[in-house]
Amino acid sequence: MTKAEERPVLFPKLPDVCVRCATCMAACPVSRVTPRFPGPKQAGPGAQRFRSASEASVDDWIELCTSCHLCDMVCPAGVPISELNLMAKAKYLNERGRTFRDWLLVRSDLFGELAARFSKIVNPLMKNGAVRRLLDVLLRIDRRRDLPGYEYPTFRRWFRTRPVASGASGRRKVAYFYGCFTNTNETDVGKAAVEVLEAHGLTVVVPPQRCCGIPRLGVGDLRGAMEMGGRNIDLLRPTVREGIDIVFSSTSCGLMLRHEYSRLLGLPGAEELAGHLFDICEFLLHLREEEKSAVTFRPLSMKAAYFAPCHLRSLDIGLPALELLRLIPGLDVRLLEADCCGLGGLYGFKKEKFTIAEEIGKDLTEAVDRMKPEIILTDCEGCRMQIRHLTGLRVLHPLQLLRDALPQPIAHP
Amino acid sequence: MKRFDLIVIGTGLAGLTAARTAVEMGAKVLITGRGMGALTLFGNTIDLLGEIPPETEMAEGIPRWIAAHPEHPYARTGWEGIESALADFRGLFPPPYSFAAEGKRNSLLPTGAGTMRPTYLIPATMAAGAAMTPVGTLIVGLRGFKDFQGDTVSLHLKCRGVTLSLPRYGLEGLTALALARLMDEASFRERLGEAIRRQMAGERFIGLPAVLGLRNPAVVLKTLEEITGARVFEIPMLPPSIPGTRVFHRFREELIAKGTIFLMGHPVSGANVKDGRCEGITVENPPLAAEYRADRYILATGRFLGGGLWAEMERIVEPLFRIPVFQPGGRGMWFGERFFDPEAHPIHRAGIVTDADLRPVDETGRVVLENVRAAGSILAHHQATEEKSREGIDIATGFLAAKRALAS
Repeated sequence: MTKAEERPVLFPKLPDVCVRCATCMAACPVSRVTPRFPGPKQAGPGAQRFRSASEASVDDWIELCTSCHLCDMVCPAGVPISELNLMAKAKYLNERGRTFRDWLLVRSDLFGELAARFSKIVNPLMKNGAVRRLLDVLLRIDRRRDLPGYEYPTFRRWFRTRPVASGASGRRKVAYFYGCFTNTNETDVGKAAVEVLEAHGLTVVVPPQRCCGIPRLGVGDLRGAMEMGGRNIDLLRPTVREGIDIVFSSTSCGLMLRHEYSRLLGLPGAEELAGHLFDICEFLLHLREEEKSAVTFRPLSMKAAYFAPCHLRSLDIGLPALELLRLIPGLDVRLLEADCCGLGGLYGFKKEKFTIAEEIGKDLTEAVDRMKPEIILTDCEGCRMQIRHLTGLRVLHPLQLLRDALPQPIAHP
Repeated sequence: MKRFDLIVIGTGLAGLTAARTAVEMGAKVLITGRGMGALTLFGNTIDLLGEIPPETEMAEGIPRWIAAHPEHPYARTGWEGIESALADFRGLFPPPYSFAAEGKRNSLLPTGAGTMRPTYLIPATMAAGAAMTPVGTLIVGLRGFKDFQGDTVSLHLKCRGVTLSLPRYGLEGLTALALARLMDEASFRERLGEAIRRQMAGERFIGLPAVLGLRNPAVVLKTLEEITGARVFEIPMLPPSIPGTRVFHRFREELIAKGTIFLMGHPVSGANVKDGRCEGITVENPPLAAEYRADRYILATGRFLGGGLWAEMERIVEPLFRIPVFQPGGRGMWFGERFFDPEAHPIHRAGIVTDADLRPVDETGRVVLENVRAAGSILAHHQATEEKSREGIDIATGFLAAKRALAS
């Protein structure tokens, strides 16, 4: 593992841009629930002024930042707050060393395929009380948190083995970045994505791809994240060079691919890739606006809530999924007035952070209680897991409902 | 590419007001701000013009004041314009958490510095502060909450003060937002109410820091008043302002529900200007830059803090459109002798000069951009801080800019 000081400085850190206006303190989900985290103003630019590459890190609370980026979004001065936090976290963990738990959790892409293949054995094991207690004690993965089940065939396998749609030749191609979770844990999101894209007159291709690397950023492993990024850029470049745009259905993968590869990690080729990457709902809206496709959705009479994931907000493209959902006749869909579900990716699975994640999630639960929807829609797999856990309601990716509202519903398992 | 009827640049009170006014008129609107705007910095009450003494009705005082200040942004809106804009603003906040003026005049409200400050529209949670008397008021601070020093406030206001500690909740080090969130919990506010009641010695008014809930402030107020039997009021304090955050959330909720595209977090880095018209703006989210187009634009980017104005070595500039800025003389002339001079520092007079339609004009009075209007504190010839007119200018000019833009 490289020490922080051996790495080149990738970007200027600008704590002095901060004017201490405290706007970020009105947005941070963590400091809103616990005094253990001093909040973005103090943890980011405040503490940064005292940090030195040659001295050992003393930021014992820096791991409590969930990297939700909400502070960055509200800052009127453009301070890269979450980036300052991330760099401090990376240094802290580089010095202290990472746990086996971190090593394991960020490799879900490697183990996922295997776990999916043996899902009949793995899934019951992950629900088994004794196994969960063991994981809780040995790995400090909180046993109160449901572990996501694995599905087989994986999305990738399903896509490869499905019959090719007839009349598909000559249509515009679009590539799909499905992300690990869709591949092995929520394959229906991928199937819905393919069906909705095809219904909009597109031919879907699935280029080879790896984990985007954002779980590694979560544990401050910049080098690991850069490796994953480099591989993905190499794998996706040919698609982009063919002039094919790539859509993603996970907003966190999307943020990583489109922005962090270049802005944070400075990876060569990242900018070329970014110009061809789109959130899938953003892409579909563009198609409709350019009048290249005009799918009329059939009515769905239902009361639905839409939750905007933090990383979607960081993409700063508005709420394209909500705009699309509003095109379904009869669907009463409203935005949940809540900031951050609290899960923070792997964060909420960790025993020492479970209570914080739960407490942040409480505000979302209350917003759900006020609205009383039948179904909740959100673009991020982490948010979906957390909202299911908190509310017990049916929680889907917006694409899954859009698929159900397609004019000629395609049968799906 | 989608074309909007109106793009609003800036998510402060002026921008939010402009966006809402336009949406109410049926326009397709996009609003974008590089941050959350200044509502969390001020935004506690709605100042209109603190200079008007509390004895004078605003309907009488403001027209007279406008006559003496023909260059002021209020001269563009007139008293009628201010009135309709404020009525519109109030419509966004139905009871119980509503905004009202005491007898159509300024009222004096206690502040977190222990001073009395004139203001106009007051949220329901602060209304009792205007009626408080030093004898008969208890100021309650919370131990470990650094943004509100109850002792200082009570000392200056000449009231009795207590600092409470609620050990079970571990208040030590809590932020304003964390406290406001706790207040939304029934068990917490009931416990706090009980703790206050035990400290009371016949007081009729209770003053607390302005953290009485984020979602349900009126409910928090009601609980505390029922338990203590006194009238309870919030006292505005240091940023981040919880009352300002409530206002921001209310606007955002309403705008998104009505179909406005709400962008936040990245700066507008460029404007495409052709033949005296803005054709599009670019929002920078590295490594990408997204272009958005509309028929009309409203520039509500504030002053120096919001990034609407920028101080170069010898000049104040407007960085986005390079609109001519009224200059307060050279750098040597920008600041007065003393920081707290009652007269505003000359630099605060800098800003954009407009025609009656709020379109920016140059030194000769010629309109520089046909389809761009300016609103809020970026306008020249006001002293929002000293006059205590910030929110009034934001609301009145934001409203007018949207009305005029859509009429064009």
